[in-house]
Amino acid sequence: MSWAWLHRLGSPKWFYGRFKAWPKPLFCLACLCLMVAMVWGLAIAPPDYQQGNSFRIIYIHVPAAILAQSCYFAMGMAGVVYLVWQIKMSPIFLQAVAPFGALMAFIALVTGSIWGKPTWGTWWVWDARLTSVLVLLFLYMGVIAVQSALEERSLADKTAAVVSVVGLLNLPIIKYSVEWWNTLHQGATFSITEPPSMPMAMWLPLLFAVIGLYLLSAAVILWRMQTEIMRREARTQWLKQEVLSDGV
Amino acid sequence: MTYVSFLRAECHLVWRRKQNMVNSVLFFLLVVVLFPLGIDATPMFLSKAASGIIWCAAALAILTSVESLFKEDYHDGSLEQWLVSGLSVPILVLIKMALHWLFIALPLLLLSPVLSEVLYLPDNSFWPLFMSLMLATPSLFLLGGIGSAVTVSLRQGGVLMLLIVLPLYLPIIIFATSVTKAAQVGLPYDAPLAILGAIFFVSLVVSPLMTAISIKASVN
Repeated sequence: MSWAWLHRLGSPKWFYGRFKAWPKPLFCLACLCLMVAMVWGLAIAPPDYQQGNSFRIIYIHVPAAILAQSCYFAMGMAGVVYLVWQIKMSPIFLQAVAPFGALMAFIALVTGSIWGKPTWGTWWVWDARLTSVLVLLFLYMGVIAVQSALEERSLADKTAAVVSVVGLLNLPIIKYSVEWWNTLHQGATFSITEPPSMPMAMWLPLLFAVIGLYLLSAAVILWRMQTEIMRREARTQWLKQEVLSDGV
Repeated sequence: MTYVSFLRAECHLVWRRKQNMVNSVLFFLLVVVLFPLGIDATPMFLSKAASGIIWCAAALAILTSVESLFKEDYHDGSLEQWLVSGLSVPILVLIKMALHWLFIALPLLLLSPVLSEVLYLPDNSFWPLFMSLMLATPSLFLLGGIGSAVTVSLRQGGVLMLLIVLPLYLPIIIFATSVTKAAQVGLPYDAPLAILGAIFFVSLVVSPLMTAISIKASVN
């Protein structure tokens, strides 16, 4: 098996050319998916027999929480890849994904808290899941702060990679916090490997919302990566030609 | 430079700057004093909060002393010497951290019986508290060292270092205080202690490597 495709991924030039056309269709697809999910989930799906309509916030909360963790995992992996193989694209990816992940963690916290008020009777409990997602948000903010505080590019890249790799330790704690401790937060809502514990009419819109948000994240991250490539490679010849041929 | 000569030099340095050790102990005591004065000085509150207070104060004291761990080495060029010495930088880092742990965390550990009396910590939870401090303060040093190395080249790196390191301290503090909480109500506390041990071993592996990478990137 040839590894050329993997090595090419490390080159900003190749990456830029290959994925130039991707964000827009991805974004449209994501919007479509999310629209279906929102209309279906918020208006058509049946209300829960205990929680009534307030359960509908899971169509935002659960995808955001999943994305917050996935983004962190991807960021940590990119950090490992950068520290081990020094691949040029990984700090670009890291930089693109951090603010998106932070936003997702923030949305998960806010929607969870809004849902907690009518259901648990309180905006916030200091339980394991909530606290560890809060820590996740802080970790994201740390990575973002490092990237903006260090002036020298290569140092900032290395440092952000180090911080995100060390923060990976937190992920298993989040993942298993619901299983290790008997906390107020329920177990995982969404799993691909197990049959859903809720009726199809509630589960399918959730599936759409998760897929839609993943697509949206792919689109946004690719967009941000392109911008970052353009900023870093501003002096190179190929980028000049690229921009000029686009007629800008 | 050999590992032995490095250790000897570092010992001399730490010993000549005894004041740093005294400062961090004083800071630890002052933070502990803040809580009874600031919140509630009755034994009922304090006996419940004691382990948390001691833990928060210890974490802050360690954080402030770790912050400047590599600062002087960076400015006087010692870090460059580490890199060209041909010795393994992670091991040098580990030696330095272990030495600083001995000089800064050990006094805090020795003070903990006195403080737990002052804060009315119930007798049955003193040993769990002591064990959690023994197991987890090294992790605090190891993780703090990464933050210190990462921000070593910045003039105003202090706040950034806190931002990076404090989130990593939170899980440790949670597990450490759940040890004493379990002990106070008579439950077994070996599970959180085991997790603290696991965190220690993971950071023992990860931290010297990451610190060395950051040092290499900062010195450049």
